[in-house]
Amino acid sequence: MSDAQVQFINVIKSFGDRTILKGISFEAKQGEILFILGTSGTGKSVLLKNLVGLLRPDTGEIWVDGEEVSQISEEKYFDIRKKCGMVFQHPALFDSLTVFENVAFGVRKHYDYPEEKIKEIVKKCLKLVHLDDVEEKLPQDISYGMQKRVSLARTVAISPKILLFDEPTTGLDPVTTNAVNQLILDLSKTLKTTSLVVSHDMHCALAIADRIIVLDKGNIVDQGTPAELKASKHPLVKEFLMEATTHA
Amino acid sequence: MLNKMVGIIDDIGGVTLFMKEVFRTGIKTPCTFSEIMDQTWKVTIQSLSTTAMAGFFVGAIMTVQFTLQVSQFGALGYLGGLATSGTIREVGPLLIAFMLSGKVGAFTSAELGTMRVTEQIDAIKCLGANPIQEIILPRFVGIILSSFFLLTIGLFMSIWGGLLMGIVFSGISIEEYVRHIPNIVSPVSIVTGLFKCFVFAFVLASICTYKGYNATGGAKGVGKAVVDTAVFTMIGIVIADWVTSAIGESVMELFLK
Repeated sequence: MSDAQVQFINVIKSFGDRTILKGISFEAKQGEILFILGTSGTGKSVLLKNLVGLLRPDTGEIWVDGEEVSQISEEKYFDIRKKCGMVFQHPALFDSLTVFENVAFGVRKHYDYPEEKIKEIVKKCLKLVHLDDVEEKLPQDISYGMQKRVSLARTVAISPKILLFDEPTTGLDPVTTNAVNQLILDLSKTLKTTSLVVSHDMHCALAIADRIIVLDKGNIVDQGTPAELKASKHPLVKEFLMEATTHA
Repeated sequence: MLNKMVGIIDDIGGVTLFMKEVFRTGIKTPCTFSEIMDQTWKVTIQSLSTTAMAGFFVGAIMTVQFTLQVSQFGALGYLGGLATSGTIREVGPLLIAFMLSGKVGAFTSAELGTMRVTEQIDAIKCLGANPIQEIILPRFVGIILSSFFLLTIGLFMSIWGGLLMGIVFSGISIEEYVRHIPNIVSPVSIVTGLFKCFVFAFVLASICTYKGYNATGGAKGVGKAVVDTAVFTMIGIVIADWVTSAIGESVMELFLK
């Protein structure tokens, strides 16, 4: 085990006779923003779900903060999930709970804090994502962009060491997309977390990533810093770069 | 055809394993009393009006049907007892189960299915909670508890429906209608009705929570989960009715005598 906070070693994951991850190996160091890029259906989300135990790999090792987690029990995953906060592709807020209760949900489950402390954490997290006066609203009463930010606040509230973002800007307009990207950057720097961002937006990746991994059909086809990726000869990376230049 | 058979066997196995998980969670980490009461209240309120109305008319139908039979033997005095006993033992629990299947089963399955496809269930896990404890157990127990309340209300209304028909259609008095109810409606009838009610609610609660919790494939998947819930609960309830009628009653009478 190296000094990496997250490490995948030869991870293979199949669904029936379809192999989605074909021996993935990579690592993310503490405090790093690592973008995982790829076209739809290449196994980016499957990769994140393997990390938080929503899916289990067929073979290979997954190390989180010095602990091998690929085969541990569901009960033991409780502590791992406290370290890994995941922001889903959908806001995934609980419809029947207010914004306050949504953000407080994970805190109540993981910590035995008094109500005053929980209120303080919720306020602080909502402030981090630039939201005010929404505590008592239901998710359906706020815009989609705001729901995404509440989802981010809910994840940050449990004080994870590692933040996982599954296509955080999908379905958002360009202005909100930029705002969310800036938030990812700010949160990573403020909270000193390691961030793994699954995306297909090379433009955002070049702007905020420390390192980028490009996935294609379950394999890593290229990786490096944004500067290194810009010089890549791989056709898929070139296509992504061309797309990023068009949208810049 | 073979694929369908395999699918059904797969579903039966899936529900059984799911129930094992629900019971395991219920024993190890039960949900709170207030969560159960909240769900029981929601389910009861959702189905109260339709159950009451259906109960009223079932009582009325039973009275009309029994009138045609018993009037030939000059036994109209037994009308109230026969209609009420029939409702408690068979028609009442079946009616409540069908009502719950149409309203609560479909609603629960759609609600859980939507939570699954919008990743809310995954979010619950990632936030350190057990989805079975948080969202399945309260709904499961809530549906079973509320079925008893709804059965009581449905039966009460069926007596009123039967009584009204007894007066209007059969031409008997209130006293005549109610006189033999305590004689014919025995404790065995009541226990049988309650037992059937429990079995049907159990079948419904297991199928709708299982189908909703395991929905996949976006809006289409949620739609399929709701349709499957409707079909499988209807079939499951009818089979359970046959099993409880054939075996359950004889076993119960053996114990109660």
